[in-house]
Amino acid sequence: MRGHAFMVAGYIPGDSFFHRMRLGLKAAALFAVAVLCLASPFVSVAAGLWTTTAVLAAVVGAHFAAGLPWGRLWRAVKLMLIFLVLIAAYQWWQHGPAVAWQVIAAIIATVLASNILTATTPVDELLDGLASLVRPLERIGADPERFSLTVALMLRSIPFVIGAFADVRDAARARGLERNLMARSLPVVIATVAYARSTGEALAARGLGEPAARPSERTPAD
Amino acid sequence: MNEPHPGNGNRPPAAAAPARRRRGWNAMDLSLIAVFAALMAASVAIPGINVGALGVPITLQTLVVSLCGLVLGFSRGTAAVSLYVLLGLIGLPIFSGFRAGPAVLASPSAGYIIGFIFGAAVVGALATLAVRSRWRVAGLFGAALAGGLVIHVFGIAGFMVRGMGLQVAVLTDLAYIPGDIIKNVIAVAIALSLHRAFPDLLVRRRK
Repeated sequence: MRGHAFMVAGYIPGDSFFHRMRLGLKAAALFAVAVLCLASPFVSVAAGLWTTTAVLAAVVGAHFAAGLPWGRLWRAVKLMLIFLVLIAAYQWWQHGPAVAWQVIAAIIATVLASNILTATTPVDELLDGLASLVRPLERIGADPERFSLTVALMLRSIPFVIGAFADVRDAARARGLERNLMARSLPVVIATVAYARSTGEALAARGLGEPAARPSERTPAD
Repeated sequence: MNEPHPGNGNRPPAAAAPARRRRGWNAMDLSLIAVFAALMAASVAIPGINVGALGVPITLQTLVVSLCGLVLGFSRGTAAVSLYVLLGLIGLPIFSGFRAGPAVLASPSAGYIIGFIFGAAVVGALATLAVRSRWRVAGLFGAALAGGLVIHVFGIAGFMVRGMGLQVAVLTDLAYIPGDIIKNVIAVAIALSLHRAFPDLLVRRRK
């Protein structure tokens, strides 16, 4: 999990229908799944039950059509298992088995659907998609360029921070302070802030990331 | 003081926060926001640390959320946590358990993740007041506790939206409280060391 391998952990390369689908379409499909699942409380129990079950079946079908492994499906459910059991038990007790199944199926279907999107889209494409979402906000005062710069800075800082955690853990272990949360975290945070400050100074020295001064805002001191 | 801060001493503290947004962040602010968001993301990759007699593994996630507020203040702290949440939502595997994408909004822990943003905002707003007050340590700890409370309220609301009853949701949430108090103590201790090491971090520098 060191370095950039961490950032591609979600992507599973392939050549399925979903891999070739445009990101915007995939996002729209995901939105449709979420709406279908969330709409069920507004229709009758029987209709909601059938819609959610059908959507869940379609999503599971899509999961395998995209060539994603079983493990991926199970892992997504496993992480929420305790909560799903609690929610199912409560709904069963309050409203009976039909509603319990419908609620659980809706959660699993939406989670699996967005898993498909994440697993079939490379990280760069997702980031490009984000950038294109921000661009129209320029009119209301957002600064897409500085936003992209910040995102890029964050991505390249993650390996540094993970490396700092690893170094500090080794140092703490050598001193027998492995279970001391303070000894494990304070040096990491100090190193991280120092790193942020040297990065900030380097950017400022190159005139990057500074707010574009509009003539009206410029102070005489500049 | 190794850097001159012209005009910092007599600036009314209340005026600094609202003016900040309009004036915009400089490169240093962007760098701090980005690197603290990276710290949030990296803290997910760190396995939980077993603390003391409790034997409860403690993940660093909520610790870093309070830290963002305590160290960066209201606007930058909120921005750092929002950036982390946003990138997690578009699909980087940076949520706990290496989850990613809009899936977490559908999962029962969605409340906590949305709550992180508001928690950091509350911690940041209170911390900015606390560092200037006479009871700095107590104030910072109070800020961290208030932020933690906000996160838990969002977490419980998230459980309930997913169909859990109020009582079950509160009981489930209570399991996380002791660990969070330990984390808040540590976050304040770290923040105090950071304020000592970098005195101009929370107090806004002016050119």
